[in-house]
Amino acid sequence: MLRTALLGLALVGSLPASMSRGFNQLLDAVVRIDVREVAFEDGAKRFSASIGSGVILSADGLILTNAHVASPRAVELSVTLSSLERVGARLVGWDHWTDLALLQLDVAEVKRRGLKFAHAEFGDSDKLFVGETVYAVGTPFGLTRTATRGIISNNNRYFEDSNGVNGYETGAFNTWLQTDAAINPGNSGGPLVTEDGRVIGISSRGYLGANNLGFAIPANTAKRVVEGLSRNGSITRSYIGIVPRALQDLENFYALALNTGLLVNSVDPGSPAARAGLRPGDILLAINGEKVDGRFPEQLPPIQNRIAGATVGSTLRLTIKRGPATGEYNVVTEKLESRVGEEWVLEKWGLSVRKVSRTFARENQLEDTTGVFVIGVQPGFPADVAGLSRGDVITKINQRPVATLATIQAVHTAYEKKPEPVLVEAQRNHQVSLYVLKP
Amino acid sequence: MMSRCLLLCLLLTGGAVRAAELPALWSERLKTVVAVEFYTETETERRPTIAYGTVIDHNGTIILPPVAVNPRMTPSQLKEFKVYRAGSATGVPGVYLGQDALTGWHYVRADATQRTELQPITDFAAHQQREPAMAEEVWGIGLRNKEEDFQPYLLVSRVALVQSLPQRTAIALQEVAGPGLPVFNRAGEFVGLAASSFGQSFVQFSRMDRSGTPVVLVNVEESSAFLLASDVLPYLGRVPTNFFGRPLAWLGAFGMQPVDPDVAKFLHLENQSAVVVSEVLEGSPAELAGMKARDILLAIDGAPLPRMKPDRVVVAYVEREVERRQPGATMALTVLRGDARLELKTVLGEEPRLMGEAERKYFDRIGLTIREFVYGDAVALRVRKSAASGVIAHFVKPNGPAGGAGLHTDDWIKEIDGVEVKTFAAAAQKLAEIEADLGRAEFVLLVSRGGETAVLRVKLR
Repeated sequence: MLRTALLGLALVGSLPASMSRGFNQLLDAVVRIDVREVAFEDGAKRFSASIGSGVILSADGLILTNAHVASPRAVELSVTLSSLERVGARLVGWDHWTDLALLQLDVAEVKRRGLKFAHAEFGDSDKLFVGETVYAVGTPFGLTRTATRGIISNNNRYFEDSNGVNGYETGAFNTWLQTDAAINPGNSGGPLVTEDGRVIGISSRGYLGANNLGFAIPANTAKRVVEGLSRNGSITRSYIGIVPRALQDLENFYALALNTGLLVNSVDPGSPAARAGLRPGDILLAINGEKVDGRFPEQLPPIQNRIAGATVGSTLRLTIKRGPATGEYNVVTEKLESRVGEEWVLEKWGLSVRKVSRTFARENQLEDTTGVFVIGVQPGFPADVAGLSRGDVITKINQRPVATLATIQAVHTAYEKKPEPVLVEAQRNHQVSLYVLKP
Repeated sequence: MMSRCLLLCLLLTGGAVRAAELPALWSERLKTVVAVEFYTETETERRPTIAYGTVIDHNGTIILPPVAVNPRMTPSQLKEFKVYRAGSATGVPGVYLGQDALTGWHYVRADATQRTELQPITDFAAHQQREPAMAEEVWGIGLRNKEEDFQPYLLVSRVALVQSLPQRTAIALQEVAGPGLPVFNRAGEFVGLAASSFGQSFVQFSRMDRSGTPVVLVNVEESSAFLLASDVLPYLGRVPTNFFGRPLAWLGAFGMQPVDPDVAKFLHLENQSAVVVSEVLEGSPAELAGMKARDILLAIDGAPLPRMKPDRVVVAYVEREVERRQPGATMALTVLRGDARLELKTVLGEEPRLMGEAERKYFDRIGLTIREFVYGDAVALRVRKSAASGVIAHFVKPNGPAGGAGLHTDDWIKEIDGVEVKTFAAAAQKLAEIEADLGRAEFVLLVSRGGETAVLRVKLR
């Protein structure tokens, strides 16, 4: 008895991954996700279909995938279980910053049809070492349940992209796992696992045209996001408005001890940090008395995450070095917002718009968040005929400021019922022009 | 076949009879045209430019078209002006007098030794001015390039269309003169000055691209458009007394955009045009008169803005209305604000210091020219004039130390080595110190670009 068990243990240790019980269970927890989503870009509603992967995390059918697979634009989510049965699902929440989204299987349907599925367990991504064997499982190019093998190529890759997830920002608050396990389109959202089938990452992206440079969100980041999304449907982060930069070898210039401080490269105008008196070129030494080391780019996301993790509206005490002087600055955090505002299409005008967000207004030096940004017009429709084009910011409609998306939607609804000329004020590169939308 | 030849022969003879006097007209009028060569000196290169000019008086004064000089260059960068007569291999020295703001013409004066060989265009002005008629034959002079001694050649065309842009401008059937050179009628009277040519749309096919690519071609040696004499002769006397043609009238209504006929109709503006003012500049006469951003300008001194084609021409019309006036002159503006019509009395001011007038200095070891921060920079960067400090990176040498650190042309330099540089003098001194210190390995710049800042480390070794 004892011998068998030992043998069993020994066998498990030396067995290839495909034969370990954990790995087999993992395979049964990986799903294919077919997404139908709506896009507003061209002045019309257009539907498109795409395929991604996901992994079931719990017995009650929570599925983790990428934010760039399942976003609020999804109108239909269909999950193929390892039994090849298809089940519907709904979006619980998404977080483009970490490129993660959480789905809920239609439990009633699962019960009614008596379907079975397994669920996977997370591993500890902090314990991964470079060279460790990992497997990516997913649906590359629609090839369901494909497993590829590789190693951890780098366990702390810095990779920030201001429009990496369908135009949304990503990568500011986490580093990534890099692997040479083949990751192709369709792998997105599938798990990256160790030999025992533990999920240590969510495959997310690869370099186009490169060989075997794939990236995954570490499981330890994913755990926190899953918790937040299942509880609140979204992740709330704090924002103070500093753009950090690794100090690298500027320590001498700023007369700093090695491995101390973070360079404030830019301060967003009007942000909490700007209001508190922070300036570009300041060195952030400590947050709430806790030391900061931002010498290398890889060290920036955890520091950003520390700031983001503060309760919105709370006060952070920042220790700042400016020239020879060091001082304390109290910064009250705001809620972090994406640059990408809510989108809508005003179909009778052939006009797609996106609400001007605080970040968009700041980046484009607009006075405030009044207005909607034109993301597309349909040729031959009133907006196009009037001369509006992508990039314009519509600030007034029928002489009323466009404070919210609802303002312009209301005028469009009235136009649908009774088409009458509508006066639009818009600016392009800060040049204000008037347009008439005619039936 | 026979009848066709007959017709052709008749036409040819018909033309030949009238053309008999042309050689005489031609040789007389050749004295009104010149080629002007000058060098533009930048931090790293020296480039020759050749432009065509028309003689306007007996003092050897010549006007060159507005596009002859790159607007980014300052007059101090323009060197060695030389004036060549048509068909001449040798030029005489010339002096650059400056640019007139209203017409945009650059004025050059030829050396006294050549003046007797030049004849002003005014000598050929018609006694009674009239617009050339549709299909009227007009002719002008083209000049070959320098290798061919600026040899003159004849261009003949007919008037196809006359339009207000906002100056009265004729479009000929084909090229009628070198840009900047005069156009004459068959009697030899001066009828206009060739402008820069129009872009013409073509579709380009090739073996690789069989479906064709639309291209716009502009003939830079010859032009088919000319300003009518009525919009040339009255302005020839505007010889600038300084490089920038000061005094320059200033209103400060910025980013004017025309309203199209649909919008005009919506606003109940009949048979007239209007412009939307995007911004009212800080401290400007427009601001002092109470103008607000988004006001719609309807009339100047009671005269409604005329409806012009294309719509955007009305903007040039308003700008010319300001430029033709002097600082201190009053200008009554009628604006529409919401539903209210308001009368604003403005007193035009003097244009703030221009970018061309700004001080600048090149630091060779750093690979950077800094330029004084002027009013126009505050406007372009969308900052308050009071926030204006620092200097602008006017030129960044490619692959030089500053360029290697990531500095771009037009970046706004706010700090040098951690010290805020409030003025041009302070920045120039700081950079001079850094440059003189041969032991220096690096220094740090804080720059702003598109509202964001960055710390740049410039390595000198």
